[in-house]
Amino acid sequence: MPDYGHDLIFGSFITPAAAAPQQVVGLARATEAAGLDLATFQDHPYQAAFLDTWTLLSYVASQTERIHVSANVLNLPLRPPAVLARAAASLDLLSGGRFELGLGAGGFWDAIGAMGGRRLTPGQGVRALSEAIDVIRGIWDVDNPARFQVDGTYYQVNGAKRGPAPAHGIGIWLGAYKPKMLRLTGAKADGWLPSLPYMPGGLREITESNAIIDAAAEEAGRDPAAVRRLLNIGGRFGPGSERFLSGPPEQWVEQLAVLTLEYGFSGYILMGDDPAALQIFGQEVAPALRELVAAERRSPVGSEAGR
Amino acid sequence: MDYGHPLRFGTLVAAASGTPEHAVKLARLSEELGFGLIAFQDQPYRPDLLDTWTLLAWVAARTRTIHLSAGALNVPMRPPAVLARAAASLDLLSGGRLGLALGAGDDRDEMAASGAVPISPGALGEAIDVVRGIWSSDRTPLRVAGEHYRLDGAERGPAPAHNIPIWVGGHDPGTLRLIGRQADGWMASIDPMEPGDVRAAQALIDEAAAEAGRDPREIRRFAVIPEFDGPGGRWVEALLPLVLDEGVSTILLRTDDPGALRRFADEVAPAVCGAVAAGRSSQGTAVRTVPSAFVRARRHPGIDYDAIPASLADLAVEPGDAGYAAVRSTYMRGGSPGLVLRPRTAREVADAVAFARRQPVKLSIRSGGHGISGRSTNRGGIIIDLGQLDQIEVVDKETRRVRIGPGARWGQVAAALAPYGWALSSGDYGGVGVGGLATSGGIGWLARRHGLTIDHLRAVELVLADGTLTRADETHNPGLFWAVRGAGANFGIVTAFEFEADEVGDVGFGRLFFDASDTAAFLRGWGAAVEAAPRDLTSFLIMGPPRPGQPVVAQVMVVVDSDDPDTIIDRIQPLADVAPLLDHVIQRVPYAQIMEVPPGGHNGQGEPVSRSGLVGHLTPEFAAAAADLIMGGDTYFFQIRSVGGAVSDVPPEATAYAHRSANFQVTALGASRSRLDRAWDAMSHHMSGLYINFETDLRPERLDDAYPPGTLARLRALKRRYDPDNVFRDNFNITG
Ligand SMILES: Cc1cc2nc3c(=O)[nH]c(=O)nc-3n(C[C@H](O)[C@H](O)[C@H](O)COP(=O)(O)OP(=O)(O)OC[C@H]3O[C@@H](n4cnc5c(N)ncnc54)[C@H](O)[C@@H]3O)c2cc1C
Repeated sequence: MPDYGHDLIFGSFITPAAAAPQQVVGLARATEAAGLDLATFQDHPYQAAFLDTWTLLSYVASQTERIHVSANVLNLPLRPPAVLARAAASLDLLSGGRFELGLGAGGFWDAIGAMGGRRLTPGQGVRALSEAIDVIRGIWDVDNPARFQVDGTYYQVNGAKRGPAPAHGIGIWLGAYKPKMLRLTGAKADGWLPSLPYMPGGLREITESNAIIDAAAEEAGRDPAAVRRLLNIGGRFGPGSERFLSGPPEQWVEQLAVLTLEYGFSGYILMGDDPAALQIFGQEVAPALRELVAAERRSPVGSEAGR
Repeated sequence: MDYGHPLRFGTLVAAASGTPEHAVKLARLSEELGFGLIAFQDQPYRPDLLDTWTLLAWVAARTRTIHLSAGALNVPMRPPAVLARAAASLDLLSGGRLGLALGAGDDRDEMAASGAVPISPGALGEAIDVVRGIWSSDRTPLRVAGEHYRLDGAERGPAPAHNIPIWVGGHDPGTLRLIGRQADGWMASIDPMEPGDVRAAQALIDEAAAEAGRDPREIRRFAVIPEFDGPGGRWVEALLPLVLDEGVSTILLRTDDPGALRRFADEVAPAVCGAVAAGRSSQGTAVRTVPSAFVRARRHPGIDYDAIPASLADLAVEPGDAGYAAVRSTYMRGGSPGLVLRPRTAREVADAVAFARRQPVKLSIRSGGHGISGRSTNRGGIIIDLGQLDQIEVVDKETRRVRIGPGARWGQVAAALAPYGWALSSGDYGGVGVGGLATSGGIGWLARRHGLTIDHLRAVELVLADGTLTRADETHNPGLFWAVRGAGANFGIVTAFEFEADEVGDVGFGRLFFDASDTAAFLRGWGAAVEAAPRDLTSFLIMGPPRPGQPVVAQVMVVVDSDDPDTIIDRIQPLADVAPLLDHVIQRVPYAQIMEVPPGGHNGQGEPVSRSGLVGHLTPEFAAAAADLIMGGDTYFFQIRSVGGAVSDVPPEATAYAHRSANFQVTALGASRSRLDRAWDAMSHHMSGLYINFETDLRPERLDDAYPPGTLARLRALKRRYDPDNVFRDNFNITG
């Protein structure tokens, strides 16, 4: 059933290795050079082996011209939302509208606690994220004359000034797997950003998750298509094989077309830190997939891809 | 009151969110005008300002030399542990240009409205402990049990690129005392036109510093001066006493006006500099920075740290420094040097040698840090680390002449030459440095076709023991040039190599896994197949003791210098037939791809134990002895590399690497010095010489194995001439 009809975007998923900062930045530049649309970085602020993702996002945006940047996904518990919202708007302003906000509830609570953060249960974490989204959207909502108030259990705002407003409508994309997070995604987010390797249920899990998001969106009075579906993927370019995304670019195109037309995804973010693979992904997979999907979307019979 | 700090100027900008480009422009202009620092005001509750941290990272990417800071960061709104990692990250990304200014924030109501909890000076002190704790290279998890900040077992790191100074803003006595106890600088708004009680504040800081066992000169004093107008001369007059009498050494001009910046840079800064220099010389004030008590406490006896030449001081790393963990060890060895000098030019290398010679401690030379025989780290001594000299440039396309710095890694060299369709055979691992390998041999993936790395060497530039910068090639200092190609570590520090590269495109790369249960037969068969193969094939073999319940596995790597798939298969087939094949992968890949290595620093521990030997043929006797060694368990890593071919075309007397007739180089790594030596000594009669790069035995006989008598005699004569005091002795020292 679902194809929400979004334009396709393609990106990279880069490990922010502190041991080689300039190589990390180089991968982002390679992302741009490969013609991709988006460079993303995981965020684990409790991990000493990683560069701080926020710092890196700004540095990378400053060193590139075209690509958008996002965390994949940002660790909310260690990043207070009001400051985060203003920082996000600032980066969007500096970069001319190239920032997106991939956001997560946080998962490694012991590590978060060890950093001086607040330990929450997973359920509390989802509620905190929901409140944080209200804080963030409230800061960005500069045209709203009402006094800015969020009286949450986890986050409070009490008359803070709104602003600055970002340069473009920053997408809030949530890394979500469990029903509560999926429902929050449907109710409040602009995007769903899971990693395929973390979905043991595979295609069935995707279908079920989409359905939960769609239902929650409708319940909140939103169009399910307001939630873009993006996917972190791993794979290998090489001789054809039975395995998913392990083969020549044509095989990738066919398989991703199925995910696009039948499973609703419209953004693909390649893991693996391999500049050669990014090049093939940007130069060969992306244009061919765009073409194939456009043709299928035009064709009256609907989806025929992947047969 | 003048602490003698070098005088610096900076700008403090309030970055309007309405015109984001303006702040970036001011930063770049400040850099261009010679200001040393740009700081951005931080009030994270104000919508009319850009987020300071985001802006700092943005600006770091668009500037090259200017230092960056906030003035000062609002700690209650920025959790300190995350801030510490962010600061280290920005310091790494910017090449060590960050100063971390911290403050408790001024507008408590606005902070509270955004959900932040205000903090006291005491809590700010805890935040500083958190930040320094995260930066520390201590191996234990970080615990801070403060009243406001509690960390229980956070990971430490990353270490910043340099000791990020922590500067604190504020005027109240509690904050001033905190600065005296813990900070590296005091940042205060001071209006020079309305002299206040700066001296009293300084005295309070000094008193607290002294109580904490610190030298007050550790603490730099900043004055943030207000909007600048009126005649420049008046400002010069007003600023002078701040520096000469009130202890201020960094002047931050608060402005958003490019015109004011320009005028200050033209009319005020140079005049103040001149007048301060004159004033200081008449008062006899020495200009210097005093390292922190923490750094001083970790210094080693025997090194005169205060005498480190100015050219080297800024990049030097000592045990108390943030960057120490990243430079103390090498790939194979743990170390705890007293000082790491990181020269950027040949001239600075000469400064480093001159300085090191005067210190009664060990000296080690390091390029890529993959030394095995080369002891490129030590305990308590000095290291000259050539990592900064890593340029790779094409000198002449016609003759494929390339010039490479010793600090480059062979993976980088391969990547840089690939676009030209060239390569230089070096070794099997892209992380290895140019300096250590190209001064001793270089047995690489293309050895049989293209010879040793040193066979492509056309000229070197080096710094000799007496500090002379010299060049050596076939006609100029030919003796030295001869010696560098096989025993270079004894004669000086090579600061540039000129090579003639080969034309190399895609190559065949095979990895074959064999059941080598009949180990001796396998070794014989592999050796014979390699010797019989055309020169475009080079093969390396790795074995170790079998795992319980598993067959003896041999891993064979083969490179075929051909991009033709049929040739690749033809060449590899005879090797594949040597024993039962368990698994294999054969690919056609760019040469540079085999040399690609994941990034990362060195974290070696302990001391490697290895032996090396050169052999003509893998005779039945040798193969039987090697099989016994592998099965005996005294080596955990046994490797044979093919040489011969083009390597043997070069006459033995042409270079200091003289054992040209060998077809194989054999290496064993062991856990125990005595056990490996016993096993190896017992089979050494099968070998004729050794390759120094894989040998760690320090018994004097090894020198005779490394160099035949004629070669050794010539090396000794040259050593007496070029390094009579034996300054360079960390690697196969030529003595006698
Ligand atoms: C994983 C690994 C794989 C290897 N593979 C191969 C291989 O396939 N083939 C091969 O031939 N060797 C190989 N080697 C050995 C290697 O070539 C030597 O250890 C070499 O010394 C490493 O060079 P480096 O610059 O990285 O070492 P460093 O540790 O930086 O230096 C080692 C020594 O070289 C000397 N030296 C360094 N720089 C200079 C300079 N600029 N001027 C003068 N002397 C200098 C010093 O004596 C120093 O102690 C390997 C080593 C390792 C650890």
